[in-house]
Amino acid sequence: MNGPLIVQSDKTLLLEVDHELADACRRAIAPFAELERAPEHIHTYRVTPLGLWNARAAGHDAEQVVDALVQFSRYPVPHALLVDIAETMSRYGRLTLTKHPAHGLVLTCTDRPVLEEILRSKKVQPLVGARLDPDTVVVHPSERGQIKQTLLKLGWPAEDLAGYVDGEAHPIELREDGWALRPYQQQAVEGFWHGGSGVVVLPCGAGKTLVGAGAMAQAKATTLILVTNTVSARQWKHELVKRTSLTEDEIGEYSGTKKEIRPVTIATYQVLTTKRKGVYPHLELFDSRDWGLVVYDEVHLLPAPVFKFTADLQARRRLGLTATLVREDGRESDVFSLIGPKRFDAPWKEIESQGYIAPADCVEVRVNLTGTERLAYATAETEEKYRYCATTASKQYVTEALVRRHEGEQTLVIGQYIDQLDELGEHLDAPVIKGETTNAQREKLFDAFREGEISVLVVSKVANFSIDLPEATVAIQVSGTFGSRQEEAQRLGRVLRPKADGHEARFYSVVARDTIDQDFAAHRQRFLAEQGYAYRIVDADELLAADEDV
Amino acid sequence: MTGTPRTLAEELRTRPDGGLIGLLRARPDLLSPVPGDVTQLATRAGTRASVVRAVERLDRFVLQTAEALAVAPDPCPYDTLGALMGGEAGDRAVAAELPRAVAELRAQALVWGPDDRLRLVRTARELLAPSAAHPSPTGLGPTVTEAVAGMSPGRLQEIIAAAGLPTTHDPVTAAAALTALFRDRERMAALLDTAPAESVAVLDKLLWGPPYGGVTDRPAPHLQWLLDRGLLLPAGARNVVLPREAALQLRGGRAHHTTEPAPPPLSPTTERDPQLVDNAAASQAFTALATVEELLKEWDLGGPAVLRAGGMSVRDLKRTAAALDTTEQLAAFWLELSYGAGLIASDGEADERFAATPAAEEWLQLPDPERWAALVAGWLRATRTPGVVGTADAKGRALAALGPHLDRSPAPEVRRRALALLAGLPPGTSVPGAAVLARLQWERPLRGGRPVAGQVSADGAGDAAGPAGTPAPADDLRSRLAQWTLTEAELLGVTGRGALSSHGRGLLDLPEDTTAPTPAETDAAAARAAARLAPLLPEPLDHVLLQADLTAVAPGPLHRPLAEALGVLADIESKGGATVYRFTPGSVRRALDAGRSAAELQEFLTAHSRTPVPQPLAYLIDDVARRHGHLRIGAAAAYVRCDDDALLSEILADRRAAPLRLRRLAPTVLAAQTSPDQLLDGLRAMGYAPAAESAAGDVLIARADSYRTPPRTAPTPVPDGPPSPDPTLLAAAVRAIRAGDLAATAERKPVHAPAPAPGSLPRTTSAETLATMQAAVLTHSALWIGYVNADGAASQRVIAPVRVEGGFVTAYDHTADEVRTYPLHRITGVAELADDSV
Repeated sequence: MNGPLIVQSDKTLLLEVDHELADACRRAIAPFAELERAPEHIHTYRVTPLGLWNARAAGHDAEQVVDALVQFSRYPVPHALLVDIAETMSRYGRLTLTKHPAHGLVLTCTDRPVLEEILRSKKVQPLVGARLDPDTVVVHPSERGQIKQTLLKLGWPAEDLAGYVDGEAHPIELREDGWALRPYQQQAVEGFWHGGSGVVVLPCGAGKTLVGAGAMAQAKATTLILVTNTVSARQWKHELVKRTSLTEDEIGEYSGTKKEIRPVTIATYQVLTTKRKGVYPHLELFDSRDWGLVVYDEVHLLPAPVFKFTADLQARRRLGLTATLVREDGRESDVFSLIGPKRFDAPWKEIESQGYIAPADCVEVRVNLTGTERLAYATAETEEKYRYCATTASKQYVTEALVRRHEGEQTLVIGQYIDQLDELGEHLDAPVIKGETTNAQREKLFDAFREGEISVLVVSKVANFSIDLPEATVAIQVSGTFGSRQEEAQRLGRVLRPKADGHEARFYSVVARDTIDQDFAAHRQRFLAEQGYAYRIVDADELLAADEDV
Repeated sequence: MTGTPRTLAEELRTRPDGGLIGLLRARPDLLSPVPGDVTQLATRAGTRASVVRAVERLDRFVLQTAEALAVAPDPCPYDTLGALMGGEAGDRAVAAELPRAVAELRAQALVWGPDDRLRLVRTARELLAPSAAHPSPTGLGPTVTEAVAGMSPGRLQEIIAAAGLPTTHDPVTAAAALTALFRDRERMAALLDTAPAESVAVLDKLLWGPPYGGVTDRPAPHLQWLLDRGLLLPAGARNVVLPREAALQLRGGRAHHTTEPAPPPLSPTTERDPQLVDNAAASQAFTALATVEELLKEWDLGGPAVLRAGGMSVRDLKRTAAALDTTEQLAAFWLELSYGAGLIASDGEADERFAATPAAEEWLQLPDPERWAALVAGWLRATRTPGVVGTADAKGRALAALGPHLDRSPAPEVRRRALALLAGLPPGTSVPGAAVLARLQWERPLRGGRPVAGQVSADGAGDAAGPAGTPAPADDLRSRLAQWTLTEAELLGVTGRGALSSHGRGLLDLPEDTTAPTPAETDAAAARAAARLAPLLPEPLDHVLLQADLTAVAPGPLHRPLAEALGVLADIESKGGATVYRFTPGSVRRALDAGRSAAELQEFLTAHSRTPVPQPLAYLIDDVARRHGHLRIGAAAAYVRCDDDALLSEILADRRAAPLRLRRLAPTVLAAQTSPDQLLDGLRAMGYAPAAESAAGDVLIARADSYRTPPRTAPTPVPDGPPSPDPTLLAAAVRAIRAGDLAATAERKPVHAPAPAPGSLPRTTSAETLATMQAAVLTHSALWIGYVNADGAASQRVIAPVRVEGGFVTAYDHTADEVRTYPLHRITGVAELADDSV
């Protein structure tokens, strides 16, 4: 009766990390509980139906889950909760999608009333065909994704055992000369390959691209990679050429500017979701080759139409890569049913403690607005308030002071509002990368930054995703997309790559005191704290005064 | 005295004291008032009300035995009863249990007489014998003699002839002949051999009851065949009945379709580690305390209004349920539990509201086990049943939580019995609720509760009624009470995972022979149970863990002062074994509003945190404190003053301030036309942290006062029937009865009773009075009685008794020329009249 785990009535699990059994307990509950918060002393996990079904998909049964809870719990576990867990888990796998030698794709059940129940649903009826016997019903092959999605919504997730097409074979090998997949990357690749399809959750900077490359080397088949933007596409290409046996010519880019289709094709979400006259003209990309593997980068950003296309790709192996399963639009269940269950995750802090990502010092700098600014803020229209307080001159001044403070270190200034960034760029005499910057220009600037030719770069949110700036040691955030936790994670990721000299990274948020800016910052920082990053709050005045003393 | 008693009174007189004590304990209603002598005792034991009460408390097998006696000849030899119960073939289980059943009926004075002449008390017989209005669970109809009573002699002749019996003109002989035919197995079989198959099918349908069927004016041939032979006898205009003797013959002599000599077993059992059960129960007990505490906290400033008809409105119940994060049904339980323990009550003010009582304040200060004991003791003896909340009663009134009409008298007894059944299992063992319900139903079956479906149409249109042995559906009050008991016991942590916990067993740990414990005994038992519970409850902690995400986790229950202080300083985010608190600017401001300073708060956190106070938290407190009280608002003049005139300009410029109608008085002072309260709210809504200030300029501390009712006592349970008598009372009562009896029956020197002087009251013993009265009812003769009225005035009357029942005689009073009712005990004596005197 002195376990490290406390089971709460709202289905959260509190894990005391300093407890001697904490590690064993974490391993026991990780398969079915999502880590929600990981501050310094007590980690919070949440038990959700999706989590429990993830565990079922990974081969765990209700008994193991209940055992884990009962074994490690400090107080008796509410009986109702255990019953609920068993009940929820038993829902997975009663329905299975399999391949029938004569009839193609069929849905079979081990519990007839369930089949009756779901067949009565209006949403299921158009997706199924003839009833072969009391326990089997034909599913239209084209509706394989749709039916999985629908069944999940009905609370009866189907296990997909219908298998995959091998796709067109293409030799791909990892070229491990002087480097090797890290153990957790190796595990992620194996977890994915073993499960068939699914999502790998790794923090920013933990080398998700390599997990993708590893999976490709396993599949040894033509691969379609979907990424968020062109810069990211180029980086994938660069990385693949460097790390695998693939050559430049084998990798195609399918974006707004280029439309190459090669054995390995990297496409952007944007080009796929471009709609012309009510149709998606680039959809044929999915059918243009017999893909053996589809890789989704940044699954948490997957736009809604891509889900729709993905529903038709259920016979292909799918790998989702992401830093977090939290979607601000709450479509986690679509990720689960269409791409697959979570196959691997590793907490941020754990990878940091293994030395694969750099520790970071997060500081919130509170700036006092001047009297005039406060007055202007108070009178601003509601929808303008954030913009106003986020771009005040006082913040500008403090930001510049911070940049000077870290003179000589590779510094990124990240913001939301272009005029603010332009102004900062001008004052700091630093280049600004924004939406209108051409890709060529962007890459040139990134290269220069990488080489150390320029030490300060001002970037807009276009740089939020998938750019690789290994030597950024200081990031200063001046404004953001309101309270987006997603963005905070990405931006922090910019400075988390391991530094050559082991220098601690710094992450500043400059925030206007007593304004809505401060509230949004609090929301984002809560995310940081929950990820285990201790952060400090300092007054800009004190910080600047300290500088003057120096 | 003769060897065989002739009346129940005579038999009771011969019973040892122990037997009488047993009778009085089983039927305590006989004791109030204490009967004067054994005759009175026997009379009272034969009254309808008392017999009904006794019969309702018999277990299923004893009741079945009584029912069989009611359809048997009177008196009935033991063997005949055995055959009725076990069938002609005999039934070993029945044979083994029957002596117990007969002994039980005897002990309850429902049956008397030696084994060869068992007699069911007349009232019980009337109650249990089948009649058209009250079908018997045996499914048997009236006897041939009863059924042919109103039949024309001609028709009876036809039947006799059709049945192949010698004709006779005497209806009594004819009925006897028909009865004899039905009783004779071989002749009956021969008769049935000639019956058309459809007729046999009709008999089969009526066989196990109900024995009545409908016929049309022109019965179908197969029905006519039965009617002709008396196998169906007319019962009213369009109904026919299968006579009892015929049914018994067809049933092979069995009065019941199924007898249940043994109680249904408590199975299937699930065995768990008793330690596990205790822990689960203890954790639930702790949750129960937390829930009640939460309810009291929720109502701290006064609860919802009392409906005019009493109780809480449905909306308030919903709100309370939401606050307790539970269903309305469970919320009703927690409310009634608190009410039953005297923790909440209506305040009795003009606009009546519910609120916590002063006792709640004391309860909150008690250690956990004692608080649990108080709740459980209240629960055990309560007759109020939250289970019925939300339903409507027989009169269609909706039953509101904390409202009237929730009392269900059998509740405490059912509760105790259900727990006792669980206590009979080995520690850690649980059984499904249905098994407990089945056992309880057996122990106290509903009289006539088994389904007696509507009449079957003998024409075959209706469906056959189920066999008479089908158990009643589990929706009768006792079953529902038992069901609620099991649920509530789990909620209170008396049981864990369905098994009685070791502390739960303590609740039943009562002095022997206690059927209905006194409140004091219940309290004592609850205290003992709580003592066993105490080591299982988690120790309160004096520390929390503070984290950088601005949460504090209490990894277990906290000491009350700490929990209260934290509850002000932070919002509760998650509850269960641990509590997760979250610090927000709002919660910190609340603490500052409650009069704590930033330094005090920092100190408080440092003192109670196991870990260093995280920098962001310290910063948050200082930051809120920095702004807290920055603005000051006067109550009387409603002003805003601030040293920072830019801030005031800012407020004035904000269009959200318009409703506050602010005006700048000085660079640092604003005046408002609204009340200070609205002003405070308005400014807070705009994101400021103003503080109210008094006329003298110091900060007012806003803290809401707790609201309490005047002192209130917990509702008194409404038990069913008189309290169970204690041994002293029982012994004294028996002594008194014996003494009275001796006086009444002692052999005196034969005094030649002088003829009563003309004008003096007749004097007879009460037994004689009763016997004469009953004889007069049968003979319709008039009597001369002496009567003492309520004022003590004696008078003489001439009455013609009509009915003697329940200690009263209803009679036509010749003297007053109207029908009157006299209590028997007021009648001094009675004398028969000469025939010509009326």
